[in-house]
Amino acid sequence: MLALVDVWYESDGKAILKNINMTFEPGKVYAILGTNGAGKSTLAYVIMGLEGYRPTRGRILLDGEDITDFPVTERAKRGITLMWQEPARFTGLKLKDYLTLGGKNKVSDEEIKRALEMVGLNPHLYLERLVDEKLSGGERKRVELASVILLKPKYVVLDEPDSGIDIMSVDMIDHVVEELAEKGSCVVLITHREEIALKADHSYLLCRGIVLKEGHPGEIVSFYKASCDKCDHPNEPTERVGEELRA
Amino acid sequence: MIVKDFEREFEALARAYERAGGDVSKFLDKRIASVIISGDRVIGLNGVEGVVLKPSKIESGVQVDMEIGAGVVLEHPVHVCTGFLEKKGYQRVIFNITLRRNAKAIFTAHCVFPWAEEFTHDALMNVRLEEGAWMEYHDEHMHSETGSINLITRSIADVGMGAFFRNTFTLVKTRVGKLKVFMEASLKEKAIAELFTKVKATKDDDVEVRETIKLDGEGARGLAKTNAVALDRAKVSVVNEMYGNSPNTRGHVECVEIAKGDGVEVSALPILIVKNDLSELTHEASIGRVNVKQLQTLMAKGLTEEEATELIIKGILT
Ligand SMILES: Nc1ncnc2c1ncn2[C@@H]1O[C@H](COP(=O)(O)OP(=O)(O)OP(=O)(O)O)[C@@H](O)[C@H]1O
Ligand SMILES: [Mg+2]
Repeated sequence: MLALVDVWYESDGKAILKNINMTFEPGKVYAILGTNGAGKSTLAYVIMGLEGYRPTRGRILLDGEDITDFPVTERAKRGITLMWQEPARFTGLKLKDYLTLGGKNKVSDEEIKRALEMVGLNPHLYLERLVDEKLSGGERKRVELASVILLKPKYVVLDEPDSGIDIMSVDMIDHVVEELAEKGSCVVLITHREEIALKADHSYLLCRGIVLKEGHPGEIVSFYKASCDKCDHPNEPTERVGEELRA
Repeated sequence: MIVKDFEREFEALARAYERAGGDVSKFLDKRIASVIISGDRVIGLNGVEGVVLKPSKIESGVQVDMEIGAGVVLEHPVHVCTGFLEKKGYQRVIFNITLRRNAKAIFTAHCVFPWAEEFTHDALMNVRLEEGAWMEYHDEHMHSETGSINLITRSIADVGMGAFFRNTFTLVKTRVGKLKVFMEASLKEKAIAELFTKVKATKDDDVEVRETIKLDGEGARGLAKTNAVALDRAKVSVVNEMYGNSPNTRGHVECVEIAKGDGVEVSALPILIVKNDLSELTHEASIGRVNVKQLQTLMAKGLTEEEATELIIKGILT
């Protein structure tokens, strides 16, 4: 189990995450909702332990072990990985080398082929392509999803895998998430898309760095649509909410 | 074919050539045009139909005039191997290459100096491409590990109307020594040129790259590109220059340089000069440490920082 216990993250004296308590279990899918700027990506970076994203308060526990001070590689070796909202581009790096991490990730050609097909990329057309600027935004995201499939992570944070991917292919993301969960991965899914969020087992709603609400995705999505969609003070939770939280 | 009495020298060169990634069998294949130079002699030469190869002796080296006839499209790349098997010396090589109208040829060149210590290699390539010709010249170098080689390589290309020229220089597997790569191409109407240098400099290596493209003819297009990695105390200075001299010309210069080490010194200087307001030139440069997001992306997949750096560098140099 991966747990965030009273996690705070401040940058330049500004608290971006406040009192975050979350638990993630293997084989389950969690949807993280929240308007732009709520702190979703920051949460992803804190979970991954990126440089400059050490919590200013609180603990991150993995199966009871305190990993708050573990660097990225250590966390990755324990099965945590992250798909960036905007995945990085690499000059000259072939897709095949990227997916196998230059041979370090021992996966068969068959597995690579299957992963690419799952994300809707024809292996014949893409294996020799470069993971550089020439890939379209949607293609780059698909490559990243394929990479996640091949990593077989225990915990993966997918930061808006659906943004930049055409509406017609949302089903593909569903399949990938389902497959990951079936194989035992815990998927933390940051998304703005209702239909994707609804498939999760549990959901958290972030607003200005706090967990405004958590619960069944149906309930959270309804609340989001009723309140956040029409909110005229996004990322400014009302006093009442603050009080409820403190209570 | 191998010149009589040079079989043993060829064998020694062949071993070094294979280590450089070359395929020696190509030099023994009669269907493939080839030139083998060792020291100041041509020790192997094979012309094929439509290809005329004329070697001559010059001071401290050789000159080879190569001509591909009009309309001749070579099925196999021309193989060129330039070697120097001694420890000390000076070698000059001049190639005058002409491709007649609509001819097409790819050159695969390897320069191997496996044991050189006090050695200077001075190469000059003059290229003339007539209308509609297509030429690629891929030059890969393997030097000794002493780091004391002094290398100057210059190419001057005159790219005719609608012709295509691609020139690449690669030195990524061994120490460099002191290196100057100068590439220059002047383009006529609708001609295209790509100049690309890839180099990995370590220890005290000292590298200077200058790529210049002159878009003289209307509608000409050019790309001058350099990817370099500087480690330890290496110095790499890159100038990519593009002249938009005619209407509807487009040019791009691009330089990626990674610096990692306490004493490295790298520079990238793009020069864009537009002399016609219908010319469009762009540049892109990234210089400095390995990109943090790239690093963290790979580290989030389980690579250590060193492994991630290595993979990123490998991409840049291939
Ligand atoms: N390093 C930083 N320093 C200061 N403020 C930051 C930093 N990174 C992010 N922020 C701010 O923190 C807030 C949360 O940003 P974050 O990127 O986590 O939002 P998000 O929920 O992922 O939004 P989106 O839906 O647009 O992706 C924003 O107001 C952002 O401007
Ligand atoms: Mg975000």
